[in-house]
Amino acid sequence: MPGIEVPKEKWSGKVREVTLGATAAEGGTRSRTVTVGGETTLPFLKFEGEIPHPPAIALEVRDQQPNDWPSILLEAWNGATQDVAEWAKAAEAAGADLVALRFNASEQLNAAYARKILRRVLSATGLPLIVFGAGQADLDNEILVAVAEEGKGERLVLGVCEEKNYRTIVAAALAHGHLVDARTPMDVNLSKQLTILIHDMGMPLERIITDPTTGALGYGIEYGYSVMERLRIAALQGDTMTQQPMLVTPGEEAWRTKEARAAEGVPAAWGDYVERAINWEVLTASTLIQSGADIVVLRHPKSLQRVRAMINALMS
Amino acid sequence: MALTGLQIYKLLPASSTKPEVKAHANCKECGYPTCLAFAMKLAAKQAELSLCPYVEEESKRQLEESAAPPIRLITIAGSAKKLEVGNELVLYRHEKTFYHPPGLFVRVKDTQPDAAQVAEAVAAYSVDYVGMSLTLDGVAVEAAGGDFASTVAAVKAACPFPLILMTSDPATAEAGLKAAQGTMPLLWAADAQNWQAMAKLAAQYKVPLVVLANGDLNALADLAEQVKNAGVEDIVLDPGTRGYADSLAIFTQLRRLALKKNERKVGYPLIAFAGDDATLAAQHIAKYAGFIVLDRFDPAMVYPLIVLRANLFTDPQKPIQVLPGVYEINKPGPSDPLMITTNFSITYFSVANEVESSGLPGWLLVADAEGMSVLTAWAAGKFDAERIAKTVKTTGIEQKINHKRLIIPGHVAVLLGEIEEELPGWEINVGPREAVDLPNYLKTRWG
Amino acid sequence: MVEVPTGTLIVEAVHQAGLDLNIPCGGQGRCGRCAVIVDNRRAVRSRSELRLSQEDLAAGYVLACQTVLEGDVTVTIPPQEKIERRLVTDRTATRVTLPFSYDPKRDQPMQLVPLTIDPPTMDDQTDDWSRLKRAMALNYGISDLTIDLATLRKLGTTLREADWSVTAVVELDTWDRPNGPARLVDLIAGQNVAHLWGAAVDVGTTTVSLYLVDLLRGEVVARAAEYNAQIKRGEDVISRIIYASRNGNLQEMQALVVDTINEVLERACGRAGIRPWEIYKMTVAGNSTMIHLLLGLPANSIRLEPFITTINQPPPVQAAQLGIAIHPQAHVDCLPGVASYVGADIPAGVLGSQMCDSKSVALFLDIGTNGEMVLGDCDWLVSCACSAGPAFEGAGVRDGMRATVGAIEEVWINGQTYEPTYRVIPDPQLEAQGKPTLPKGICGSGLISLLAEMFVTGVVDKAGNLNFDLGSPRIRYGEHGPEYVVAWGNETAHGRDIVITKVDIDNLIRAKAAIYAGFTVMARSVGIDLSTVERVLVGGSFGQYVNVEKAIQIGLLPDLPWEKFHFLGNTSLKGALFALLNREFRRHLTTIAQKMTYLELSADNTFYEAFTSALFLPHTDLSHFPSVAEILAARRTTQSSHFIQGGRPDVHHR
Repeated sequence: MPGIEVPKEKWSGKVREVTLGATAAEGGTRSRTVTVGGETTLPFLKFEGEIPHPPAIALEVRDQQPNDWPSILLEAWNGATQDVAEWAKAAEAAGADLVALRFNASEQLNAAYARKILRRVLSATGLPLIVFGAGQADLDNEILVAVAEEGKGERLVLGVCEEKNYRTIVAAALAHGHLVDARTPMDVNLSKQLTILIHDMGMPLERIITDPTTGALGYGIEYGYSVMERLRIAALQGDTMTQQPMLVTPGEEAWRTKEARAAEGVPAAWGDYVERAINWEVLTASTLIQSGADIVVLRHPKSLQRVRAMINALMS
Repeated sequence: MALTGLQIYKLLPASSTKPEVKAHANCKECGYPTCLAFAMKLAAKQAELSLCPYVEEESKRQLEESAAPPIRLITIAGSAKKLEVGNELVLYRHEKTFYHPPGLFVRVKDTQPDAAQVAEAVAAYSVDYVGMSLTLDGVAVEAAGGDFASTVAAVKAACPFPLILMTSDPATAEAGLKAAQGTMPLLWAADAQNWQAMAKLAAQYKVPLVVLANGDLNALADLAEQVKNAGVEDIVLDPGTRGYADSLAIFTQLRRLALKKNERKVGYPLIAFAGDDATLAAQHIAKYAGFIVLDRFDPAMVYPLIVLRANLFTDPQKPIQVLPGVYEINKPGPSDPLMITTNFSITYFSVANEVESSGLPGWLLVADAEGMSVLTAWAAGKFDAERIAKTVKTTGIEQKINHKRLIIPGHVAVLLGEIEEELPGWEINVGPREAVDLPNYLKTRWG
Repeated sequence: MVEVPTGTLIVEAVHQAGLDLNIPCGGQGRCGRCAVIVDNRRAVRSRSELRLSQEDLAAGYVLACQTVLEGDVTVTIPPQEKIERRLVTDRTATRVTLPFSYDPKRDQPMQLVPLTIDPPTMDDQTDDWSRLKRAMALNYGISDLTIDLATLRKLGTTLREADWSVTAVVELDTWDRPNGPARLVDLIAGQNVAHLWGAAVDVGTTTVSLYLVDLLRGEVVARAAEYNAQIKRGEDVISRIIYASRNGNLQEMQALVVDTINEVLERACGRAGIRPWEIYKMTVAGNSTMIHLLLGLPANSIRLEPFITTINQPPPVQAAQLGIAIHPQAHVDCLPGVASYVGADIPAGVLGSQMCDSKSVALFLDIGTNGEMVLGDCDWLVSCACSAGPAFEGAGVRDGMRATVGAIEEVWINGQTYEPTYRVIPDPQLEAQGKPTLPKGICGSGLISLLAEMFVTGVVDKAGNLNFDLGSPRIRYGEHGPEYVVAWGNETAHGRDIVITKVDIDNLIRAKAAIYAGFTVMARSVGIDLSTVERVLVGGSFGQYVNVEKAIQIGLLPDLPWEKFHFLGNTSLKGALFALLNREFRRHLTTIAQKMTYLELSADNTFYEAFTSALFLPHTDLSHFPSVAEILAARRTTQSSHFIQGGRPDVHHR
């Protein structure tokens, strides 16, 4: 009886390799760089293709301690959340590949302030940085232009660029050698369209990261999951406008849910609060990595450990 | 291989060359307006071929062959609950949908004094998620040198869910099967050594049997073939892998073989053992397991897994909806504006994002318009004054705000008068037609 | 001067005063077209001021459909808001070619039968009707003749006045009674009847068109067209269904469309020198909503899930029952439809275009406010419908207008200066005096042309965002956000700038995306690759104006070789004509309507998926539009080089 052959897909496309951060030799000040992408098959299917780089994990830090994070999340950082530089150091110590600096929307937030914060984070950690604005178009345009100038040469990822507001950020990133995070609301077509629009401005595809957004576990993760899976399949089938590495923010999404925030007044069936909350972040992240995420932004150091363990096991 | 609607149409009476068959072209007796409409329903597996009494024999044979499930449907049952897995048609959920969610089982050993208590806890576990009551699916009882039969009996008494009997010793297995009588457990497992005896038991007790190999695709396929030839139709495959990478690879390969290569020898559901690792169990939910066995019962781990399973096994063909209700944007206070829109996700996101990025606080009411956008829902009568009023009254928004002003989308300005009637005492404001104009509207018109 | 109770809407008061006020959105306060000026703001109360600017409000403008009267007030209707009328076709007939040779004896169920009847005597006291039947059976073998009471009432008089020499107008059969019995429709004195008239009508959502037909010769002798008077109760079918579903409004809607039909009838008959009641047969094509409203059938279930009509294949009804001014006992035959949103206009168009006669796959598009499409060949046909919105008809767009005098119908933009030039539909009188017609707005074809030009010159990006980096003074922020000025105020008829706003652009992109998504999903659902489509047949009045190249550039039509496109004009009216002349054609129509498989696009989200991918210029997947990709590549080369000699790259003549 003839044996069964291992069924392998013959993919024609490849995910673009994108490098975040720049060392002194490359014009920046990072102690190392992180490269993601380069896959020639679906996540971790090493029997039929290359997975040259493991997915990278970023930990989120804020310019000021946020007032809307649950206490178990703040406590996990042992006071480092009081100061952005300490926080960035702690993130590096916790094993992050990248630091995702995000600005809170506050009165003091302006270009000069953003420059100052960026300088402090750059000197506190040697990891490559992702810098997110406060989520308000006008303000973000102001501070991200300043961040782009201040961080010239560092190959930062600047975000977020959305269809309604991308030109200023892309222009700043273009001028100062940075990358951009192109965010669209869970839709394959919108994601592709934004990549095209940003590329049409002259941004090389090697400097665009796709951010298809996601819902948390229980809050629409299936949409994020399928959108990422579809984008990755399209990329492997040779659609050049979908071949960007993908970034998602499961930490932000998971810690917004009631499951991760409510210690009391919830059904007993939800189980132990801390364990459940961390599981919520971990399962949101791990499931998205299974569908193609190349960068996940997390919040809890323990979640990082578990997700890292999974990635290591899958890469072995 | 599945046929397209047009390919099926070529086999139905409308395309027949025989006049006596052609006479029944588009006869509507199947309940569909045309043969092509019926063909497309068949292709989508939303209709049964038996509805057409006029299909020619040869066509019927072709159609039945193409419709045979590439992954066999396996049913197991406890005293009061059954579980069906298999019958999957796609590799990626967006291609159609994943049909049968994997069964989640908790393992107990026959040496474990609290086996019955664990089984009871498993049976009692139920959690509410968006109005659905979700549960675990059963208990796996493993022979570890204790009294297998009485443990099985105790577990069966404590838990009305299906059981998995885990032993490689045929004598122990038979004792367990006897103890489980009245239910239909899954028997784990037939391996290269014991398969003949196990297959005999499975056939005799009419239970599905797991075929176990040690990570080798061909060994697994051959063993499954032998078991099948020994008279066991209902088979579940255990490729023997227990880690992340090895499981992902072989589970993917088995699913592809069944679906894309039409390889009948491995056209069965798969069983996975995740230990006490929630992340590994999550991988198995996404990547193709039919049964997942956990070593531990811990609600903090079970709850996220059950929710993940519910999420990934929803039908992605349905329009993307957000849950109707009250959404808070930028931490609104009681005097901040109240807006209403529909629960089509893109509509919701465009409104929410505009307001959110403007930095202005506000309350966004999302009405249940069955996932349609504002104009479509209005046209279809799903976003009318009555529904809008109902949303205001039932979401509890009145307790959160200190005013009675509601901004409706400009596209439904026509509903103004009717809403005023439905909501006496409310001031209804007609907002802009496009979400992009909302921030400006809120800045200039609200106050 | 009119007196009305307090709380009456201005629009109603104006109506009672016997004046015409256009309310295209159906009185929903959406469109702003019913703006009127009031002299005393304190005597009125408005519940919506949507679409009115601060200046408008200061000038005393209110929306007539949203404002109630609470005191004495003088209302002034601005002249530009009068319903503009333009006859789509207002000439005497040009020859219409039939797709079959016409033999009235073989093809036509309507027959003129000269009869000489033996007068009664004391010996033969047979009654008049039996006497006539006997003559008919003896001479023509028609033995199953029936008669209506109205005809019976004048039978005796006519026979005697005509001295027993008459011509019977007989309908041998109808589509639902192919074997008769024959029916005596009328009895005419004498035997020198030289004509038998019929009429074919297309009741469009926007326009009602009519052919007056000589049934003996199979010729169109006159034609006429007029806007459907229902427009003032709503521009799209949904608005009209909602209006009609309110108490008492159904009769009004029925009367409005009948009035329009009678008006075009009168005009066509005037040209041919006959009178409407000499017409003995009328066929009517139209979408399901139009047919329902014409027959006075409730239409509300058409718009509500699961979208069901009262009837898809209405039986023939007598003209008197509808109030149509042809012979009272003449049959009005409404052609069969397929489903709620695929009406009789579609089978009529399909049969009229002969798409089902060929083995090769054809795509039939009827592009209007409601886009309807059919794909198939001689073996199978699928159809679907999608709502494109009224943008292609110039509505729902800030400076949009119908294709009437003063409409910008074509635009060209200079690729270096971003300055436009445009062509306006001329006023014949001004033209005769050698004077230019100043623009008032932009019609559908002008909008398609404008969007295509803005896109290929880079005035907008692929998402339709205006590019402010170009530094053109025409790209600016207006009251409704970003906009492009097509004509400055000093060039226009009304002295205001004519612009296209970002919101307009989004509307247009949505409209074209809906059409494109409709036929791509339809093709995919039966497994047909669009590139294998041999012919694309474009029907509807839209098809007469559209520029195929520009329509491809914006991604409205598929990027196929131009020779595959065939513009058919009003296929619906032609279908009605052929059905009037040929009973086989009429029967075939019923078969086609029955075998056409209707796809409900709202059933799942594949339509939405295709729709979002088409919400881009020309499409998210540029590989579907190779000719447009070429143009864009050419533009990049030209713009980055310095050899520009003025003028933009020649994309007009591939």
